Amino acid sequence: MLTGSADLDRLAARAPTMQRFDAAPVVLHNATVLQAHFEMRYASRLTLLPPALHPTSPPTMVVQVWSCSEGPWGRFAMAQVRVGCRTGVRQRGFVVHAITDSQEAQAHLAADWGFPVQLGHVILKRHYDDITVDVEIGGRVAMAVRAVDPDPLGVGDVQYMVTMTLAHTPRGLRLVQVEPEYTTHRAERLRPELLQFDAAVWQEPQLTPYFPVSASVALSDITIPALRYVARPDVHAFEGTEAAR
Amino acid sequence: MKFGVFFEVSVPRPLTRVAEQDAYRHTLEQARLADQLGFDSVWAVEHHFLEEYSHCSAPEVLLAAIAAQTSRIRVGHGAVVCVPEMNHPIRVAERAAVLDIISGGRVELGTARSSTWTELGGFQADPDATKKVWDEYVRVLPRLWGDDPVSHEGLCFSMPERSVVPKPVQKPHPPLWVTVTSPGTELDAADRGIGCLGVAAAGLAEQERRTREYFRRIEQCEPVSSVVNAQVATLNFLYCHEDDATAVGVGLPMLGLFALTNAHLLSAREAFPTRAYQSLGNLAPSGSVDRSAPGDQRGIPEGMAIGDPQRCTEAIKRWEGVGVTGINFIINAIDAIPQAAVLDSLRLFAREVMPHFRKREPH
Repeated sequence: MLTGSADLDRLAARAPTMQRFDAAPVVLHNATVLQAHFEMRYASRLTLLPPALHPTSPPTMVVQVWSCSEGPWGRFAMAQVRVGCRTGVRQRGFVVHAITDSQEAQAHLAADWGFPVQLGHVILKRHYDDITVDVEIGGRVAMAVRAVDPDPLGVGDVQYMVTMTLAHTPRGLRLVQVEPEYTTHRAERLRPELLQFDAAVWQEPQLTPYFPVSASVALSDITIPALRYVARPDVHAFEGTEAAR
Repeated sequence: MKFGVFFEVSVPRPLTRVAEQDAYRHTLEQARLADQLGFDSVWAVEHHFLEEYSHCSAPEVLLAAIAAQTSRIRVGHGAVVCVPEMNHPIRVAERAAVLDIISGGRVELGTARSSTWTELGGFQADPDATKKVWDEYVRVLPRLWGDDPVSHEGLCFSMPERSVVPKPVQKPHPPLWVTVTSPGTELDAADRGIGCLGVAAAGLAEQERRTREYFRRIEQCEPVSSVVNAQVATLNFLYCHEDDATAVGVGLPMLGLFALTNAHLLSAREAFPTRAYQSLGNLAPSGSVDRSAPGDQRGIPEGMAIGDPQRCTEAIKRWEGVGVTGINFIINAIDAIPQAAVLDSLRLFAREVMPHFRKREPH
């Protein structure tokens, strides 16, 4: 069984700080959710993940973009880059880094949910037969994704993995399980193209997306519920899981 | 009740060539013993790229070796992946016919469509198409074995008239099965008059529902050939030891390791949203989001044959009670159990448990 072997000090350097685990649930109505899967090179599949997490076979990078028009933080967009993984037998996505265009969203996503998120520009555009996402930070292109040929899906056909973020907490460095619930009204599958990707901007030079698998776009209401679980990043989830409160 | 042994050919890390050779050597030894002990069948999966979990990528070769080293036990594909990028239908028919000849008519042919992106993506197969393509395979295979000459025009392949040779020993052909992972496939099996080969652990109540519905529905089936294979086999784990606590202490970690390595595969639906795959994979939960705690383990499936002979007997009686006609056992995973103990478990099961489920010979 493969387990992550990332240097925790290296991961900790980009982790935000959370003072508590008692954030109230947040509902983001009418959000456009773009998700794209890319296979990555096997070479870095272990060094991207902390020891508590296991890589999938093959290793995957998952891009998830939220474009939210209604919610407590106002209008904002966020792009996350995740590594597909497992905690024990559970399917999860480990957030490597995120970029948002809203200072308020950034503050809450980092302090309340542990997202390692920076301020930048996230522009999602929907056309008749494609969707584009352009992400920039400090004038540098972080990522450009295009997804083409939308094909309708059932609203239950798109799977979203529960999110694991890594944060400094009063208990020490912890993986934080964030469990967004998606009430989806419409969903389509598309073919993704990764036009540009700068791993260094995502603060993880070992990200090696190269093989497009699938993309989906959905119109959803996203609920980020109260935190329930955190886990030590240095030991297997079977022994390192803790109640958040 | 029929008993089978189900081979995944898992290999523990580090994945050395020697470890792979040991896994195959152990598999062949287990198959020979199962033959001697009176098990009804051995089954070999077909998986590709599933490092650690299953290194059984050429089951037709393994089954040929087993057929050559045994005399009685039936040899089953559990199952051939019916995806043209992996196995052309004509080659499936040809290989099964040769295996049927070599084994003296002992072949069972399970069919499947793969449930992982790991495999489908590796062969660049289209997950959207696997169900309809599988349907074409199970309808055309009996014709490839029985018609001479045979031609075909279909979705996944077409061929002008040819003689597909050789023909199998069994007439009209080896029994056909389909692997059942997600609910509903048992209905596909029934509608086509083929056997239901369980490869995921379903609970007793769910298995009873599926079995009842299968046998009700197969009565009105339009079979894909001139014969109906009305059987339901379920998948189980076996570790039998005289001491119940020892059996549980050894057997449950095997089950846990199997589940763990299985969970690390990338299911088709996880990576590629599609209506063609309604569950997340072999042993995975369905539903859009799995909100379990990070360290939650999957529950131990009901009715596992892990225990002393009495406990194993009771477990199998429960399966018998829900109407299944056969149980196939995974007898080891990732080398969790030493080979000698695996063989002892098979011997004990055959001596103490199996007789409870065999019809008495008339005097």
